[in-house]
Parts: sequence; structure tokens; C-alpha cells
Amino acid sequence: MPSTGKLRVIRRVNLLISAALLAIATISPAFAGWGMPDPITDQAKRIQDLWVFTLIIALAVFFAVEGALLYAIIRYRKRGDELPKQTHGSTALEIVWTSIPVLIVIALFSYSFIVLRDVEKKAPEDALSVDVTGFQFSWEFVYSLNDLGTNTDPNADGQISIIGTAAQEPTLVIPVGEPVEFRLKSNDVIHAFYVPNFHYKLDVVPGRDNRFVITANETGEFTGSVRSCAG
Amino acid sequence: MTSIAIPRPAYAERPWILDWLMTVDHKKLGILYLYTTMFFFAVGGILALLVRTQLAVADNTFVNNDAYNQIFTMHASAMLFLFIIPVWAGFGNYIVPLQIGAADMAFPRINALSFWLIPPAGLLMFSGFLFGGAADAGWTAYSPLARGSGVGLDLWIISVIILGVSSTIGAANFMVTMFRMRAPGMTMFRMPIFCWTMLVTAVLQLLATPVLASALAMLYIDRNFGGSFFDPNGGGNAILWQNIFWFYSHPAVYIMILPGMGIISEVLPVFARKPLFGYKAFVFATMGIGGLGFSVWAHHMFTTGAVLKPWFGFMTFMIGVPTGVKMFNWLGTLWRGSITFEAPMLFALGFLSMFLIGGINGTFSAAVPVDFAIHDTYFVVAHIHYVLFGGAVFAVFAGLYYWFPKIWGRRLDERLARIHFALQFIGFNLAFFPMHLLGLDGMPRRIATYSESSGWETLNLISTIGAFLIGVAMIPFIINVVMAFLRPKDQPNDPWEANTLEWWTTSPPPVHNFDSLPEVHSERPLWDLRHGKTAH
Repeated sequence: MPSTGKLRVIRRVNLLISAALLAIATISPAFAGWGMPDPITDQAKRIQDLWVFTLIIALAVFFAVEGALLYAIIRYRKRGDELPKQTHGSTALEIVWTSIPVLIVIALFSYSFIVLRDVEKKAPEDALSVDVTGFQFSWEFVYSLNDLGTNTDPNADGQISIIGTAAQEPTLVIPVGEPVEFRLKSNDVIHAFYVPNFHYKLDVVPGRDNRFVITANETGEFTGSVRSCAG
Repeated sequence: MTSIAIPRPAYAERPWILDWLMTVDHKKLGILYLYTTMFFFAVGGILALLVRTQLAVADNTFVNNDAYNQIFTMHASAMLFLFIIPVWAGFGNYIVPLQIGAADMAFPRINALSFWLIPPAGLLMFSGFLFGGAADAGWTAYSPLARGSGVGLDLWIISVIILGVSSTIGAANFMVTMFRMRAPGMTMFRMPIFCWTMLVTAVLQLLATPVLASALAMLYIDRNFGGSFFDPNGGGNAILWQNIFWFYSHPAVYIMILPGMGIISEVLPVFARKPLFGYKAFVFATMGIGGLGFSVWAHHMFTTGAVLKPWFGFMTFMIGVPTGVKMFNWLGTLWRGSITFEAPMLFALGFLSMFLIGGINGTFSAAVPVDFAIHDTYFVVAHIHYVLFGGAVFAVFAGLYYWFPKIWGRRLDERLARIHFALQFIGFNLAFFPMHLLGLDGMPRRIATYSESSGWETLNLISTIGAFLIGVAMIPFIINVVMAFLRPKDQPNDPWEANTLEWWTTSPPPVHNFDSLPEVHSERPLWDLRHGKTAH
């Protein structure tokens, strides 16, 4: 009976899906961040959401096209000497498969535009700031003690500076729950200030005033994750 | 059947060696191009294995930082400037005049000059190793870093300018050849698709390469004559280099991939026994990629903070549209076909499945905030290799297996080809897929080593194993070629039952290419002769 046959197929598909879900559940701890490190700032969380959204569309396109390719390879391999029908194209199909990528592009662009606008919001007037200077081969971080409200010594110039060396990476400490502005400066070559858990990097360009803002939302030590890539 | 008689020019007899050195025959020059570029492919490959050996384990001291910088810079420079770009000129040289039914290129002497600029430029670039170190600022030579690098970088600059001259005059030659020398009946829209991709590539080269030459000239002045184009302390601009460099180098990515797409589009119809689905759509998509290619350069520069991010993000997404159209047309060609899996087809299908990944993983960089995370990490290294190895290199091998009988009169062994394909396919994915995960986890590109605490060791080791597997894959290929050369030439005119005019003449063709030409009524003149013309 055709209906039972159909049911059997559905049951088999169900079984396959459950098996796949089980497999994903087993290995998912390894992919907790969908491949990205833990986001530790509000901005990083937004970027990770965009990454996951893009990844889902990418995987859908990948499996659809790769699946169609495999199907064609298996289904349409040569079985006899008869020539296949000589189809030269189809305007309707061309319009359809031009439109589908255009729609995907509009969706991806719109979402990424919104996230871009949000993660690049300027710092509030009273935000804490850190002056970051890149050099070959380490970083200097300068905080203003006045910003921190801890400048009790009237003779001090109100700043503390932490300078790293090639061998000893400097440690940067920032507060949780409030926006911090990073002002990037270089006197030699182009560096990039990059903390993987921020999901963000910005070039440190001689002659340019590059700034970005993050709001950390998680405590922890992320030492050694600041890297420079001179060039 | 009517055919058109071709007048035969007279050729002087010369000794064998002089004949090769002084030849202006597009076929001999094409073969010289292929030998030269495959040589640099081997050199670039060995450098890649050195890179992967250094990165195989954490805290490795196989090479020091200075040597490592030179090795990865020269790996990329050799692969891009001395292999991929000129290898298409090699295929184009041999195949384009044959496909359009011409006796030679439009300017045979300029053609010889285009080729003979390449070997000295390559030697010049590598001579840096003899003079205190080769170029070490990456193939992108970002300034201000590149302003302070050693003399190897000056040699690199001069070499790349010479290579640019070679491809610029070569491009003009290809354009004139295709515009003026097509066989009677071959309208532009009956031209084989490989020719079309070579034509669009030539336009890109003609427009983009001089821009690179200007950037290189400025960098040379900065380095040697006290200029400060790229030095903010002297009134210059550090970002200027990136703008000019990528204005060339992004179109250059299409220079490196479009002819490969052309080869795939020749191979798929022959082995699926159907015409290319949507020939005109394919031509327009090629032009679309070429045009859009000039409006996306700053997606390499999102993290500089100096470019209009939404615009370049949008245009970068948009370039996925004509690329998607091509992918669907290739699938449409296979659909309801009668497919066989000879070596050229294996590599063409390898191209489809791998270039797809290279297209998809590029869209992540168009989503600007995601690019903030993955820029300058191994994710980008994965992307470029899925495009240029999964795409271009698979297409090079598809082309070599496909046209080998035409060029050398012998057919390569299918069994060895299958071993080659399997090893290369597996090795390629082992080498480059883990790089996505490494990049997401924050591994920056171009670092000479990494600490054990980073947790990157396992994936790097897998990648290194994959790279060596690719190296091993070349062994059956080399054996195959050597064994073929030991056999006598035995190939008929058209061993694949193909579609285009190069298969009309003998294998290999005579000096003057054709004794006669069939009438051309479609983009598949030979199919029409075998089966009668089918309706469009």
C-alpha cells in the first residue's frame, strides 16, 4: 500500500534526523560558540549572533548546492549511448537563481548593517578610556587615574602606564559593566589590536586616530590574548 | 561540408634549442609558459611545506622568525605572480588561437616578449635569498613596514613590475587576437567560453595592473630616494598603500580564477554531453564579476577604520550573485546529462565542490562585524586557499588532463590520475579546512610559531599532514607525465568527442594550426558536425 510505504519513509527520515541530532548533541560542547571563543563584551555577543546567522545561511546553501551536485553526479552518470536532451538554458530559471542570491544578500547585508551600527556606537562623554600604543614588538597601555577616580597623589601626573616587551606581554585590566574606549596609536608600522574574546580588531595606524568602545560583561583573565601583527 | 583553406606561411628550419629560444609560435610559447609556471608551482609548493613544517607543532624552532617571514612571503609571491597568473597566459596562449580558428596570436613577437620577461623576473625575485634575504613583508608588502625591509624587497618590487609588464602586454595581445582573428562565422557569442573568460581577464589586467605598477614605483621611491608616499611622518599616508594595492589585487583574484572557471565550463559540457547551460548568462556573469571586482577592494581594509564599510560590505555580498549564477549554470549543465568521469571531469567536479566552499566562506568577510573577528586570522587563509587551490589549482589540473592529448599528442593514464585526484582532494581538505577553526579561535596569519597553551596544536598538525599529502599527490602526476612522454604520440584529433575548434586539427597541431576549418554556426562547431545543429 502506498500510504504505509510513505510512512516507512517518513519513519526512516525521522530516525535519520534523530541520529543526526544525537550526533550534534554529542559533539556540541566543542562547538558551544559555533567555532568562536566566548564573547566577553556586549559588542562581541552581537557579532557572535551575526556570525551564527550567517553561518546558518551558509550551511543551508552549502548542503543544498553540494547535495544537488552529488545527486547529479550519481543520478545522471552515463548509462547508455543515447544522447541526453540538448537543453541550452532557460531564462525563467536564470531569473529565479539570480533572484534567490539577491534576496539572501539583502537579508545578510541588512542584519550586518544593523550590527555594524551598534558595535561602532561612540563612547559616552564620561567613559573610561585607555590610550594604547603599538610598537615593535609589544604594547603600551596608559590609563588616566582621574578617570578612575583614584588619583589621590596631587604630585602625580595622573596617569599610569604599563609597557610590555617582546618577551613579557603587558596586562590590561578593564572594569566590567561599563563602556571603555580604546584609543589606538602607532609611531612605527601598522599594528592590529585584537582580543579574540572581543571578536573585534582595529588597526593601529601611524597618523590615524582609531578608537573603539567595548562593554565587558564577564570577569576573567584573558591575558596573552592581545596580539600584534605588524604589517 | 564546406571548409575554408588556410594559406600556409613559410618557416625557417633552426636547430632544436634555437627553435625554442627564438620561437614566436603561440603553441611553443604556451608550452614554455606551462613548463615555467609549473616549475614555480613546485618551488612555491616546497616553500609551503616549509611553512607547514614550522607550524606543525607549538614553539617550533625549525626556522627562525626572519627565515619564516621570507618563506611565507615568497610562497605567496611565487604562487600568485609566477604560477597562477602566468599559467592562464600559458593555457590561453596555446588554446585561444586554436579555439577561435586562428593561425597564431595577433602579435607573435610581443607574445614572445611577454613570456621571456617571466623567467628573469622570477630569478630576480628569488635572488634575494643570495643577497641577505628575500622579500619578507608578505605578498601584500604593507607599508610602512615594507619601507624598512631589506634589499630583497627592492628585488621583489622590480620583479613584480616586470611581471606586470608581461601580463599587461599579454592582455592587449589576447584582446586583439579575440576581437580580430576569429574564424569566419564565429561571432562573439559563438566564441568558446574559455576564450570569453580569457577576454574578461585581459580587460581586468589591462585596467588593474598599471595601478599596481604605480604603487610599486612609489614604494621603490619611498625606500630608495627618500620619498614619503606611505610615511605619515613625512606627510604621506599609511593607508594609501593599501588602497592602491588592493585596487589591483582584488581584481587580481578574478584574474586568477576566471580562466579556471572557463576551463571548467569547457570540460563539464564535454563529459556531460550537453551544452553549457545558459551560455549567455554565463558570459554576462563573467562580465559582472569583472565589473563588480573593481568595487570591492576595501573589504580587505575594514579594520583600518578608514573606509566606507557598509558600501564595500554590500558590494562584496553582491559579487556572490554572479558567482552563484555560474554555480547554478554548471549544475544545470550536469542535470540530465550523460556523465562520465575521466580525469579532466574529476578535477572539474573537484573544482565545483571546493570552489563552492571558497565562495561561501568569503561571505563572512562581507558581513563587516564578523570580518572584525576573522580579519588577519587563519580563517582568511582558509578562504583564499579554497578559492585559489580548491578553485584555480583544481582547474589547472582539469586543463592539463583535458588538453594534454592536444598539446603533447599522448593521453595521461586514467588510473594514476584517479590516485592523484583522490590524494589531492583529501590532502587539500585536511590542510585547509582546519584553518577555519584556527582562525575563529583567533590564530593570526603570518605568525612564525604559537605557544602550547593556545590549544592550536592538533589542528595545525592535521593541516601539516594534509599539506604533505598534497605533496605526495604530485608524485603520481609526475610519473604519469614522464611515462606519457616515453610513449609515442598516438592521439587522434578529437579523443574526447569535444566541441571546440582546437579538436578539429591534429594532436599536436601543425605549425600553422589548421589545414582547413569547418563552418561555425554555434559555440559547438564540432558537435554540430557530429550530431547536426540543435535548436537554441
